[in-house]
Amino acid sequence: MSDRDLRKGSAELLILALLEERDRHGYEIAKLIDQRSDGAISFHVASLYPTLYRLERRGLIAGKWVERSGSRRRRFYRLTAAGQKVLDAERRSWRAFFNALNRVARIRHA
Amino acid sequence: MRDWKTVVRVHLTPLPLDAARANDIVDELAQHVAQHHADLVASGMDDDAALATALKPLRDNARVAAEIARADRPRPVTPAPPPSEKAGVIRDAIRDARYAVRLLTRAPGFATVAIVTLAVGIGANTAIFSVLNAVLLRPLPYADPARLVMIGELGSHGAGNVGYTTFLDWRDRSHGFEDMALVRSWTATLVTTGEPERVPAMRVSSNFFRLLGVRPALGRDFRPDEDTPAGWRVIILSDHLWRRRFGADPNVVGRVVTMNDRHYTIVGVMPASFEPLISEHFYQRAEMWSLVGYDTTLPFACRSCQHLKAIGRLKAGVPMETARADIDAVQSALRAAHPTDYSRSTMTLVPLQDELTGKVKPALTVLMGAVAFVLLIACANVANLLLARMAQRERDLALRTALGASRARIVRQLLVESALLGLAGGAAGLLLSAWSVPLLATLAPTTMSRLAGAHVDARVVVFSIAIALATALLFGLLPALRASRIDLQATLHADVRKSSQAATSPARRLLVAADVALAVVLLAGAGLMIKSVGRLLGVDPGFNPDGVLTMQVSFVGAAYAQNEQVVTKTDQMLAKLRELPGVEAVAAASQIPLGGNGDCWGFHIQGRPAPTPADDSCPERYGVTPDYFRVMQIPLKSGRLFSDADRANSDAVLIVGERTARTLWPNDDAIGQHVRIGDHANGPWRTIVGVVGNVRHEELAAVPSMQMYTPQSQITDSYLTVVIRGSADPSRLANEARRAIWSVASDVPVYEVAPLPDLVAKSVAPRRFMMVLLELFGAVALLMTAVGLYGVISYSVVERTRELGIRAALGASRGDIVRLVVGSGLTIVALGLAIGVVVAAAATRYLQGSLYAVSPTDPTTFAAVVCVLFAVAALAQSVPVARAMRVDPVVALRQD
Repeated sequence: MSDRDLRKGSAELLILALLEERDRHGYEIAKLIDQRSDGAISFHVASLYPTLYRLERRGLIAGKWVERSGSRRRRFYRLTAAGQKVLDAERRSWRAFFNALNRVARIRHA
Repeated sequence: MRDWKTVVRVHLTPLPLDAARANDIVDELAQHVAQHHADLVASGMDDDAALATALKPLRDNARVAAEIARADRPRPVTPAPPPSEKAGVIRDAIRDARYAVRLLTRAPGFATVAIVTLAVGIGANTAIFSVLNAVLLRPLPYADPARLVMIGELGSHGAGNVGYTTFLDWRDRSHGFEDMALVRSWTATLVTTGEPERVPAMRVSSNFFRLLGVRPALGRDFRPDEDTPAGWRVIILSDHLWRRRFGADPNVVGRVVTMNDRHYTIVGVMPASFEPLISEHFYQRAEMWSLVGYDTTLPFACRSCQHLKAIGRLKAGVPMETARADIDAVQSALRAAHPTDYSRSTMTLVPLQDELTGKVKPALTVLMGAVAFVLLIACANVANLLLARMAQRERDLALRTALGASRARIVRQLLVESALLGLAGGAAGLLLSAWSVPLLATLAPTTMSRLAGAHVDARVVVFSIAIALATALLFGLLPALRASRIDLQATLHADVRKSSQAATSPARRLLVAADVALAVVLLAGAGLMIKSVGRLLGVDPGFNPDGVLTMQVSFVGAAYAQNEQVVTKTDQMLAKLRELPGVEAVAAASQIPLGGNGDCWGFHIQGRPAPTPADDSCPERYGVTPDYFRVMQIPLKSGRLFSDADRANSDAVLIVGERTARTLWPNDDAIGQHVRIGDHANGPWRTIVGVVGNVRHEELAAVPSMQMYTPQSQITDSYLTVVIRGSADPSRLANEARRAIWSVASDVPVYEVAPLPDLVAKSVAPRRFMMVLLELFGAVALLMTAVGLYGVISYSVVERTRELGIRAALGASRGDIVRLVVGSGLTIVALGLAIGVVVAAAATRYLQGSLYAVSPTDPTTFAAVVCVLFAVAALAQSVPVARAMRVDPVVALRQD
């Protein structure tokens, strides 16, 4: 797994995981990733949206415009059934990966 | 409040996605940036710094747009290596086509204009090609038709006629032919039930149908033993006649019918598919066939009795030239043996196909050329549209290149788009032609007899697909090549609003100039035809057709076996007609002008024998009753007209046309001269008693040939055309006249009733056909040129708004602005006109055969064409020019 693939894969995992909790819009996703990783992982416009669109195209997430009175329409993303399956599989493989890393390099699993 | 969408739009390279999707994405990004900005401000950052930070990720705008676009749709460019080259190409082509369909459906205006333009161009081509295909290309519906030829001495209209005895020698002594057959025209008056009817028919030798390779559908073919003076009274019917007069009776074979008071046995019926093309006037379709039934003892079977036509079938593998040399050698030997019977003409073989279609070939070739020009104009216009569209798509294409598409790939993509447009235009064109071909058939002159069978067949479909693709290549290549040269950096970094150089490039101007040039050629052709037809209708035909009704009658059968019987009946008939109210004068003639070719008779002047009588001049002979000249208003130049005193037993007399008199007696008076006509050795010497004006008999365009008139009482014709001059509308007289004739002779068929002016109009029909079509194509060319010019000029005005604004701001008057814009348009028009006039002067040569009394480079016509095009160009420019005049300097300058 190359570094680029690793990061790309992790970005997708993060997004899917955040959407598992509830539907969110793009800025919220970026902000949450930034907050929860204490700034260690950050997305901006140029990297977030291509990832979102790619996930959407693969049918893992689905975007929907939602109009709220008083505010402008926003695009919310939700996890699809296919996305849930991929997320579960990713989780298993990441967990296995971390366990392996931990056993070898003794990195404490968060 | 800030318009975040605009902020993002300004910073982001336009997305190569459809407008709605791009708008959504911009909207989404704008929300993101706005909220980011708001959060930053809330955290204490000042507005400018917050804005800069929020927008920072968009700085590398082209890459961002590329990333987003690539993520948002299936990857268009870097597919996995194809499993095989071929499969990859096909898959790519399918994908290109799909992509092209999507693009076109997103630009319905552009697609509609392009497809309609192509449909008109391709439709016109397909329609004319259908005609060409039906009339010229479609092989004759006979077995191995390429080996069928007409054989005869070289005459003014291809192969001449032949005498029976000569024919027998040709057949027996030549070696190049598998077989030869004879045909002659025949008119039979069929009396079954109801009115007697004249049926166009043919007399043929017994091998005629076998020679063509066709067989009766019912009954049997002719037998050789029937082809004798005693045995020839057997007939074969056409399918049409069988259905019309015999109710498609399956037991019709063996039935005996009465024609011309003789009994004929029906032996067969031809299939409906048989095209009876061959007859003396081939467009007059024969409906019945009987046998020639000659032998050499008959007086009209002599060597010089040239009233038969010979058809031969070449032996397989024998070239035309060998067969011609062979028959020429036979004829030379005959000429040596019988010097007085033959002229010195050489022999000719004319392929049957040419004999039947030769007259219309030049006209159709010209029309095919004209529609090709229409198509070229359509191509130029669509190429222009594509170039204009390219200006909008350059960024898209640059992006695709940036994403890794090779130039070849881009060119291919664009060519696939063109091919798609071409095929769509072709399909629409095919529909257009399928609809217009029947219309053309009704418009076409009778000389295009086979046009009735014109339809969209496989060959036509292949043709239209081929020209659709060729067209696509033609109009698609220029934009595609330009696309492959797009400067990536410049395009991606260029400002969104700055229009590209492709918009009004020299290429687009040249294309419009080409439009103008092609339009000049088409309009010149149309103009020359209009002038020709006008001149032709203005020509003095030598008679006055107005107010004259014509109808044909035939006196055949036992009751008219003697000449006196015919003459008496004719006199009674004319007397009866003269009594009708409104009738001024009545006469009858063996042939009337524009009613078919006259028959020429040898003209042997007393005391001036030619080396052989066959070399004597041969004026056309018309048998007439005395009032004929009065009815037709043919002027008497000198001497006297015929009178009732010229009877069978009085002195034999003759009237000649002016041309005959001038040619044969340039220094003498023709009147009083003695002439023997037809047979040089027998018959009375006839005295010329009068000279009358020349008449345009064959067609209005033909210079009158030598003519002579004989009194019906002295040389009696059984087939006559009655001419009636009335004070009222001639066609109103038709029914009364018919009744009047039947009150005198109930057994006489009356047919082909037509006002003489109609016959005149009919004779102009082939030229009128050309004229109408060229007018139509010229009008289409004019419209397309105007649209093309309008497009380019208005584009350049939009493009130059800023420049015009600056000029206006610096004090340029409206007049200056108009001059500037009009000037740029006029350069294009002037260039196109100059080229067009030169090309037209060369091209109209091919119209020569269809022109009458107009030079192919007629200056007035050319000047008129130039004026019309100039006027249309001015009109096309007026809208953009008006727009240019309204350019507000402030608005124009703020635009950037």
